[in-house]
Amino acid sequence: MSAPLTRAIATRLLAERLGNEVVVANLGQASFDLHAVADRPLNCYTFGAMGQCSSIALGIALARPDVRVIALDGDGSLLMNLGSLCTIATTAPPNYALVVWDNEVHQTTGGQPTATAAGSDLAAIARGAGIEKAMTVRGEDELQRAYDRILSEPGPLVVNVKVAKGKSESGLDRDVIGGPRRFIRALAARGRQSGAS
Amino acid sequence: MAGVTAGDPSWSKHVADVLRRNGIRMFATVPDSIVTQVLEHLGADAACRVVTVTREEEGVGLLAGAFLAGQRGALLMQNSGLGNCVNTLGSLNVASQIPVVLVISHRGDLGEFNPAQVPMGQATPKILDALGIRSIVPRSIAELEAQGDGLIKLAYTRALPVAFLLPAELTGGKLG
Repeated sequence: MSAPLTRAIATRLLAERLGNEVVVANLGQASFDLHAVADRPLNCYTFGAMGQCSSIALGIALARPDVRVIALDGDGSLLMNLGSLCTIATTAPPNYALVVWDNEVHQTTGGQPTATAAGSDLAAIARGAGIEKAMTVRGEDELQRAYDRILSEPGPLVVNVKVAKGKSESGLDRDVIGGPRRFIRALAARGRQSGAS
Repeated sequence: MAGVTAGDPSWSKHVADVLRRNGIRMFATVPDSIVTQVLEHLGADAACRVVTVTREEEGVGLLAGAFLAGQRGALLMQNSGLGNCVNTLGSLNVASQIPVVLVISHRGDLGEFNPAQVPMGQATPKILDALGIRSIVPRSIAELEAQGDGLIKLAYTRALPVAFLLPAELTGGKLG
């Protein structure tokens, strides 16, 4: 097994491989790290509505089937909205991937353990919801192979990434109105193509 | 229904048509026996997409994503589901000025037979007001037609949620 991953490293490894994909980041740590590693107009940061990251990304994927959409969620947030996995399974968008930074704690609020610390298995829950391509990865090698699949295979995929505990070293301006509008303009400017790329 | 005039059964097509003629093509729902009458029209329209979600809040998130990607959306639900959406409507839609059209069947008001529906039924207009969500309560097809287009236009003018609160006078309610 490779060395334990941090969320920041895992985010950087994804950012290094991004082209025209949309990335939707959960409020707090996921958005902070994404912004620090690779701020780009096709990043959709979220600021409120804990739990809704996977659903917001699903709405984008359904409305723009020509664009590959990658959600970066957290274990605490996804646990608030497990029904989203059922809706992802029933709508089954081929351009959708959900990455979960699973550090087994509510990081932002002080590191209280989540259910994944006690053994709840988000990849197994996703498979139970009907998402066939659902996996847990540990270490850089497994993560890179999962990114290979996210960036090349038809979805939906769910990749639960076991990452080390720890807060982001970065922050993010809480431009709750302007931030989403930068994203809207960038996505609208991305011309429609046939099939996700 | 005692004390309430039964609805004209064509009400549901009028609601569907108001939504469609204002460019709404993406619909999320947790259905009830009333909004399902609207969904029958939308589901039969190849231009419309209806996604059944597991909980109303999920629909708010999904439709916010659709708006960010250039599509207008509406959430069809019973007022009991409004309580399941409150935080997301506040901290996502109102905070970030992301519009959505809520189509809410109003249980727990005039003529209600189920006592469990009444507390949320009576709280519903106050919850909408507390979030600053403009709503209309069309009691007839004529009122719906007079106000519906303007309500949706307002939502996209200011980029905020709005609500159609559909009373039993319009829909006939649920007869128990």
